[in-house]
Amino acid sequence: MIPNYLQTEFEKIISRSYFSKKIRPIREKAFNSLMIDGLPQKKSESWRFTDLSSIKNGHFSISDKNDAPKKFIKLPKYGFESFKTIVIYNGHYQEDISSLPDGIELLSNIDYMEKHSLYVKQPYMSSFDLLNTAFMDSGMSFVIRKKEKVSTPLRLLFIYSGSNNIMVSPRIHLDLEHSSSLFLLEQHVGNCDEYLYNGSMIVNIEEGAKLEHVRIQNNSKKTINISNHHIQQKQQSIYRFNQIAFGSSLGRVNLHANLIGQGADCSLNGLSLSSGKQHLDSNITINHQASYCKSSQDFRFILKDRSSGVFNGRAIVQEGAEKTDSNQSNKNLLLSEHALMNSNPQLEIHNDDVKCSHGSTTGSLDNDALFYLRSRGIKKDDAIGILVRGFASKKVDSIKNDEIQTYVNEHFDKWLN
Amino acid sequence: MLAIKDLHAGVEDKKILKGIDLIINPGEVHAVMGKNGSGKSTLSNVITGKDGYDIYDGQILYKNEPIIDWTPEKRALAGIFMSFQYPVAMPGVNNTYFLKAALNAKRKNAGKKDLDAAGFLKLVKEKLDDLDMDASYLKRSVNEGFSGGEKKRNEILQMLTLEPELSIMDETDSGLDIDALKIIANGVNSHRSSKRAFLVITHYQRLLKYIEPDFVHVLIDGKFVKSGGKELALELEKKGYHWLES
Repeated sequence: MIPNYLQTEFEKIISRSYFSKKIRPIREKAFNSLMIDGLPQKKSESWRFTDLSSIKNGHFSISDKNDAPKKFIKLPKYGFESFKTIVIYNGHYQEDISSLPDGIELLSNIDYMEKHSLYVKQPYMSSFDLLNTAFMDSGMSFVIRKKEKVSTPLRLLFIYSGSNNIMVSPRIHLDLEHSSSLFLLEQHVGNCDEYLYNGSMIVNIEEGAKLEHVRIQNNSKKTINISNHHIQQKQQSIYRFNQIAFGSSLGRVNLHANLIGQGADCSLNGLSLSSGKQHLDSNITINHQASYCKSSQDFRFILKDRSSGVFNGRAIVQEGAEKTDSNQSNKNLLLSEHALMNSNPQLEIHNDDVKCSHGSTTGSLDNDALFYLRSRGIKKDDAIGILVRGFASKKVDSIKNDEIQTYVNEHFDKWLN
Repeated sequence: MLAIKDLHAGVEDKKILKGIDLIINPGEVHAVMGKNGSGKSTLSNVITGKDGYDIYDGQILYKNEPIIDWTPEKRALAGIFMSFQYPVAMPGVNNTYFLKAALNAKRKNAGKKDLDAAGFLKLVKEKLDDLDMDASYLKRSVNEGFSGGEKKRNEILQMLTLEPELSIMDETDSGLDIDALKIIANGVNSHRSSKRAFLVITHYQRLLKYIEPDFVHVLIDGKFVKSGGKELALELEKKGYHWLES
């Protein structure tokens, strides 16, 4: 079962003349599968604690021309002026104010797919991948050629605006060829009413290539933000992901990493800060398919008020993946007795020759630590701030970019007060 | 400086302190000796204002003001300090940041401007040398991964930086080897003056060889059963606590 509005919107999107007809069969196939599967139900393990009624009972419409910006967008207000930025506003690519670092090739998705004779495998891990494929808009593909080390960071800036209950489904393909490297910032901002963002990003990291990926999810507290990431890593490749999530009423990040080449290294990190009635969910699967690969998951949540969080982390070690080194950690700090955290770290090991660990802790502030600080003359509120910042600092410090660290620290302080 | 009058205190329904009287004047060093469970830690915790204790009766006056209703930070800013028996580790909280926050809270309270990074570093470097501590201490998280001796030195570093008037040393000697003990005792002794006072809480006489007390009080089952000069500590060392137990 899918909500009726999706049917109507689907008919609208396939009749849009500016989308290529060649993609239509791909959309239809995904939509038909979605109609059979429906949106996830609570009985599904990875959706047990995340309520999708705001999507099921809501009403969203695909973005149209009226949702494009009416006035010139002032980029400096979004920070990171030293980065090169691709701006996507309500699902519309803003070419006039966008720029690319040297060494990156940008293609439209249809060009990218045609290059691959339309054989680009579509993600199907969840209904939201199907939903994204059926509705994909603002499609972009980035290719970094062999040995190209892109020195300027690239930012994908998603701006959300308006009060028209828009739904957008960006589809990004990112290919890093042999021994190339990139620093990518994905930033979500905006001041809008109810909104459904369901983006999918498909990343291929070839042998010896390296991708640093930071995701700042700081859009309006009324939005729904579902983000599906599919990462495939070949031998000796490196992927580092850091998410800092402040925004949205319902935020869910799905990370699926497939380590298919020997010695691939994958590190996934997150810091989620929630307040009010926000619900932030991180759902991770790392699939070790090759030997000598290393992976880590380290997610922290700090929850205020009546907010809630979910960590579902899974590491799978396949039969042939000897000498796997995998660890998983989830630490959560509850700043209110009404906050709720669900933590579910899982290991699935089909092989004896591995080193795997996992752990999860959830608790409130340490009273002894609080007393220790206060006994040195530090006021209670300041002492709480010091401890909460200390808890978060490991995740902020793991972002290897000063501008981003400064930005995050500023927003963190605002969030705290 | 500190006057405790007929203090009765405990946790929930458990009475721990059963009528403590103690007067500490500026310049004095008082030692409280007692076995485990005699109420030593409760005494230091109620003076510094830790949550979770009930005061049933009595009074604690600091510079003639009753402080039982004061927050821990207010007591600290007024000049009361405790060197913890078990200093708390705070992962992610940088030692410099913490120490500077504490020092600037004190300066702010005294109507002074914040000390800048350079001024702070200069001040702390001298103290570090005195305590035979490496500057790398400052870069670490507070007490995280510190050995027993490092934690205690870090306590003394805080004391020397914050310059309190009344310092409570709660089992400062526990877990220390003799070299560390001497360094710490030197730190404490360098801080002694006619304006400052100490309350040294300890199990053994060992520490009192290096930090000589003016008065020794024996705490048994929540009461001082005997008080005397430093020779009382030696007597306890020889005879144990049995002869004082009723």
